[in-house]
Amino acid sequence: MKDFLRQNGILLLVIALLLSILIGVGTAVLGGQADPLSNVVNVVITPVRSGIAAAADWVEGVYGYVFHYGEMEQELDDLRTQLGELEEQVRQGEEARRENEQLRELLGLQARRRDFTFEDARITGRSTSNWESTLTLGKGTSHGVGAGDCVVTETGVLVGVVTEAGANWSTVSTIINTDTQMGGIVNRTYSAGVLEGDFSLMNQGKLKLNYLPEGAQLVSGDEVLTSGRGEVFPSGLVVGRVEGVFTDPSGQTRYAVVEPAVDLDVLIKVFVIKDFEIAE
Amino acid sequence: MTRRDVIHKWLVYSLGLLPVWLLDAYILPRCPLFGVVPMLLPLAVAAVAVLEGAYAGTGFGLGVGLLWELAYPGGFGGSVFFLALAGMAMGAVSQYALNQSFVGCLICAAGELALLDFLRVTRMLFINAASLSALLQVAVPEFLWSLVWTPLVWLLFRAVYNRVGGTKLA
Repeated sequence: MKDFLRQNGILLLVIALLLSILIGVGTAVLGGQADPLSNVVNVVITPVRSGIAAAADWVEGVYGYVFHYGEMEQELDDLRTQLGELEEQVRQGEEARRENEQLRELLGLQARRRDFTFEDARITGRSTSNWESTLTLGKGTSHGVGAGDCVVTETGVLVGVVTEAGANWSTVSTIINTDTQMGGIVNRTYSAGVLEGDFSLMNQGKLKLNYLPEGAQLVSGDEVLTSGRGEVFPSGLVVGRVEGVFTDPSGQTRYAVVEPAVDLDVLIKVFVIKDFEIAE
Repeated sequence: MTRRDVIHKWLVYSLGLLPVWLLDAYILPRCPLFGVVPMLLPLAVAAVAVLEGAYAGTGFGLGVGLLWELAYPGGFGGSVFFLALAGMAMGAVSQYALNQSFVGCLICAAGELALLDFLRVTRMLFINAASLSALLQVAVPEFLWSLVWTPLVWLLFRAVYNRVGGTKLA
């Protein structure tokens, strides 16, 4: 300890304290914009991160091919069956769409139209902490990605929301993260609620649909979509399916546990919705 | 030791930190055990503080804290000061109460991880993020699974110390 005092150790601690305050204040002031120090560090390590991610994906691919060939064959058969079913659904959906359009015209309503502007991005990093669920993308503000943008899969399933964006990287808070909060709606019953990440559910890879209406009759398997309430996030993005309905410990409100439609562990590429319009 | 020796010594320590960082940030999060990912960076600070003492522990803690804040998502600045302070405390404890051994490092690492998780749990409780039992379900496995990695981190930094540590030169 004498050495510590003799060698100006206190000065080091003061520097550490000042840096902590500087980063803390920078984070608070800049909001979703990355602070300059983080930005510089992440700009430098993004290529390294991408390289490691690519190498790890390749190793996982080889491992999967060698040890899970039988499973993959089975999965392919299942997917072919699913494809057949989906094609049938598309045919039925097309018919319903035509009928819907006719009804809208009949009622004089203008169809809602959304225009999404996408930016594809590769996932270069995943949560390194047990206290949050985040993904790091290899694209940032230089590609038009900004805080608050929704991130989806190629099939339109919601992955999360961009919370911080640097020049060539961005951080996505996934839908199961505890800071997630957006409007959700159950497709079958139109019961609206608030989609929220929950700490005890996060490690199980699930989230909550809170503040359900009293009379909502939900069943396991009901599809949950984003409601788009407030027009901050697009509506109609698939979130997942209801797993069960429970009553809050206070006994005041009911909530549903939602199993996300996206498997965050196997995601490699995602799409950022940079812009969308809601035309009424 | 000349200034050049000091730079050389800490460059080698930084190289020692590199595999720990890559493992912590990019490899282990891909294969969590029962959903839990260990924290290796605090262990690196513990190992270096025990081996090098309070002053070097503070400096190394400051550097690792900066890495943690700037290269990892979701930081709010606190890690820099926490790890610098922890490095000082562990260095002082190992100098006066314990010794430069694996057991000393294990005790220091346990204390550091426990304090880190305690602070996180307290913060989460303060902002009413979850119940105590839910928070402990994350904190306890994280603490234990992180502690399991102490021998590996200790061996790595002891190898660095044997080569360039203290007042020795490569």
